[in-house]
Amino acid sequence: MTKEATSLEIKHRKKALQALAELGRKIVEDIRNAQPPKLKIPSRSTSNIIYDRKNRYFVLGPRYGIRSAGSMKQIKKVAQLLCTADFARELIESGKFATLREMYYTAEGWEVGPFHDQGESDAIIEDLEATFGLKRESLGLTPEEDGAAVFGQIVFREGDVTIDATKAGRGGYTIPPTIDDVEFVKCRAKRIIAVETMGMYHRLIQEEAWKKFDALIVGLKGQAARATRRFLKRANEELGLPVYLNCDGDPFGYHIGMVIISGSANLAYINHELAVPDAKYIGVTASDIINYKLPTDKLRELDIVRLKQLLKDPRYNTEFWQYEIKKMLEIGRKAEQQAFAKYGLAYVVNDYLPAKLKEVEGKEFLGKG
Amino acid sequence: MKSLADELFSDFREHSVSEFFRRNAAMLGYTGKIRSLTTIVHEGVTNAIDAAEEAGILPKITVMIKRVNDEPEHFRIIIEDNASGIPEQYLPDVFGKMLAGTKLHRAMQQRGQQGIGISGCVMFGQITSGKPATVVTSTGKGEAVRVDVMIDVDKNQGKIINKEKFKENWRGTRVEIEAKEVVYMRSRYGPFNYLRMTAIANPHARITFVEPDGTLTIFENATDKIPERPKPMPLHPWGIMSDDLLILAKRTKARTISGLLSTELSRVSKAKADEVCRLANVSPEKKPSELTWEEAEKIISAFKQVKLLAPPTSGLRPIGAAELENGMRQILNPEFVYTLTRPPKVYRGGLPFIVEVGIAYGGNAGKTLESRGENEGAEGEAGMDLIRFANRAPLIFDQGGCAITAAARSIDWRRYGVDINNAPLTLFVNISSAYVPYTSAGKQSIADEPEIVNEIRTAIMEAARELKKFLYRRLRAKERQERAGIFEKFLPVVARKAARLAGVEEPDIKPLLKKIAGVDHD
Repeated sequence: MTKEATSLEIKHRKKALQALAELGRKIVEDIRNAQPPKLKIPSRSTSNIIYDRKNRYFVLGPRYGIRSAGSMKQIKKVAQLLCTADFARELIESGKFATLREMYYTAEGWEVGPFHDQGESDAIIEDLEATFGLKRESLGLTPEEDGAAVFGQIVFREGDVTIDATKAGRGGYTIPPTIDDVEFVKCRAKRIIAVETMGMYHRLIQEEAWKKFDALIVGLKGQAARATRRFLKRANEELGLPVYLNCDGDPFGYHIGMVIISGSANLAYINHELAVPDAKYIGVTASDIINYKLPTDKLRELDIVRLKQLLKDPRYNTEFWQYEIKKMLEIGRKAEQQAFAKYGLAYVVNDYLPAKLKEVEGKEFLGKG
Repeated sequence: MKSLADELFSDFREHSVSEFFRRNAAMLGYTGKIRSLTTIVHEGVTNAIDAAEEAGILPKITVMIKRVNDEPEHFRIIIEDNASGIPEQYLPDVFGKMLAGTKLHRAMQQRGQQGIGISGCVMFGQITSGKPATVVTSTGKGEAVRVDVMIDVDKNQGKIINKEKFKENWRGTRVEIEAKEVVYMRSRYGPFNYLRMTAIANPHARITFVEPDGTLTIFENATDKIPERPKPMPLHPWGIMSDDLLILAKRTKARTISGLLSTELSRVSKAKADEVCRLANVSPEKKPSELTWEEAEKIISAFKQVKLLAPPTSGLRPIGAAELENGMRQILNPEFVYTLTRPPKVYRGGLPFIVEVGIAYGGNAGKTLESRGENEGAEGEAGMDLIRFANRAPLIFDQGGCAITAAARSIDWRRYGVDINNAPLTLFVNISSAYVPYTSAGKQSIADEPEIVNEIRTAIMEAARELKKFLYRRLRAKERQERAGIFEKFLPVVARKAARLAGVEEPDIKPLLKKIAGVDHD
């Protein structure tokens, strides 16, 4: 990061530091009153993960776990959580970021002892996230991997660097883990088309789909990273861009789309920061496979099991999804995004997407559809 | 016409008791090379303590065992007391004549009972080494006498070989016996363990022990209180056998059988004596010296048909729970001791006895002796050490056949949280009675009388319950300590980190620490 903090960064830091200070004050007060400090941590067990039908994503239920410093079994965890919180405070105050792995190794030097494995330190970070309703990125902690890439008419500012996503090279702008501190300076795009594979991403850039559809093209690189999801969420909310998802026509493609729409159960405690409930899955659907006579593969056993799971998943409890899942099971076939190449490399941009966008937006693109 | 019993009895009289001993040395504890040595120490120390107590003196006893001529199985055993000394004229009888003691005719609860003891040692030494015993004694009037005593086996008489008088400002008796065919070992069965056990059961005695290699051990007395003297009591008819009655008949001053029974026995009135004679079909006017074995047997069985008051319990002298605790603490230095003295009970319908039990845990309690001393290198035993006593005298041999062992084994120790194979536990059991039912003349184990076994069992369980409480408290204390340790480690971190997060001064954790961990910091 740069030394000059942007106003966005300052806002985020202030919010996180306030939450941390509040936690500290409560504990100090308890100790002064000779009361064992207790932490109320939302339970992240599967039984407390609830699908919120109104918001259309997973949230945590009302159950809490109590970590008491007055319990012999829990005080070590409480101490570790506070050490982690204080480590986060140092990171935020110095404007630095550490990866989860670095955080795990840092704990080696703590007097509350090293963690047994990274899973243990990650769990404490999740406790903090759930307690504050703040993402780890807000606490100065980042995952290892960067987010995916975005290409199109948008200008970002990271610290004092301004980046035009059409001039960031052929690969586009790489979404950093700290996407929350990135300012959206200017955006002329009207929509976002997010695609599962980088193959399709580069196809859309080459065919100038960003220009043709006034779209930001986002490459998800498979299951979307937190940073990518956060970017889509922010762009959707802050810039009012509708998000369209195009993935492989198989159960895993369906689900890559759905995680962006409704969030995952694992991250239920933070889905309000990540889910994009209004994002639309435009394909590839089972109907597309039939309508476009796409080259297909036979569904494997695993695909069938997975599809049947999706049928029961509350996130898929809509007419559209139920129909497409059942259809896929019925035809017993699946198809990749890039199968459209059967009709020529430009077909997807010149024919398929305009048709799909017309379905969702009700207007003509490229004079077709 | 002479009856068979007459002949038997005349045999009994004419046979030298010493001769009898010589042939039956094994029966009296002289079996095995280690045991024989322990028996000599036992007889000497028993006499010494009894003598001091009788004189109202705190016993200070020194035992020395010295190797003779560097031979492995040849020792000189020296036992010295601070009692009143022995008048010169009694020396031949005390040390050279069997059954000549001051004890047999009185039903006193004392360590020795038969009067065979010390003369048996003299006999054993004489048989194995051919040497006389040396006795030095002084009644404390500035003059001492040293004699060499041997036993005339045929006549059952002590023979003074050498005598020497000298000026000495000292009081007490010192016996030196030279014996062969004995072995010194610091094992469970050896003199060291014997003296250690004696010290526990006799907390008023100070015992100094010098081993053959020169190692000096002092078992300090744990109390200055001399036990109350047991009262000499006449024997009770329920506790005697035909031969006891015959011996009494030989000694009595009574002139008739009726008089013998009513004066020499407890709880027997003149009328009761006459009634018994009638039932036994024995003339009450007969001279005691003419009593036959057969008649004695009839009288003993007649006693079972008449109503008698049970023997008085007033003569019983237990160690006392407090004194026993002193003794166990002094010798075992344990973490926990519980001792108890049960109220008197009776067996065989009326013979009184008292059971005392002590449990010591931790410190030097438990089977630790074998892992020290001469058996070094050998695998040390661990677990519960059962130490048995009768009238304060250690019972070391024949553990397997003893009622005390049976009672201790019948208890489910796991119920009391004790693993008897590993726990550092010493279990002490003492039976006090003028009528201890030994299984044999070796007097090393107690007969399996149901009332006695039950009483021991009850007493052990009572003590074990207290041990269980202690073990539980100890466990809780350990947990509390661990608990305190955990809070002491982590609470300061919680406080410091929270204060840094809040940007405030670190709070004082002491009040909270005291509250949740029970830790008091000054």
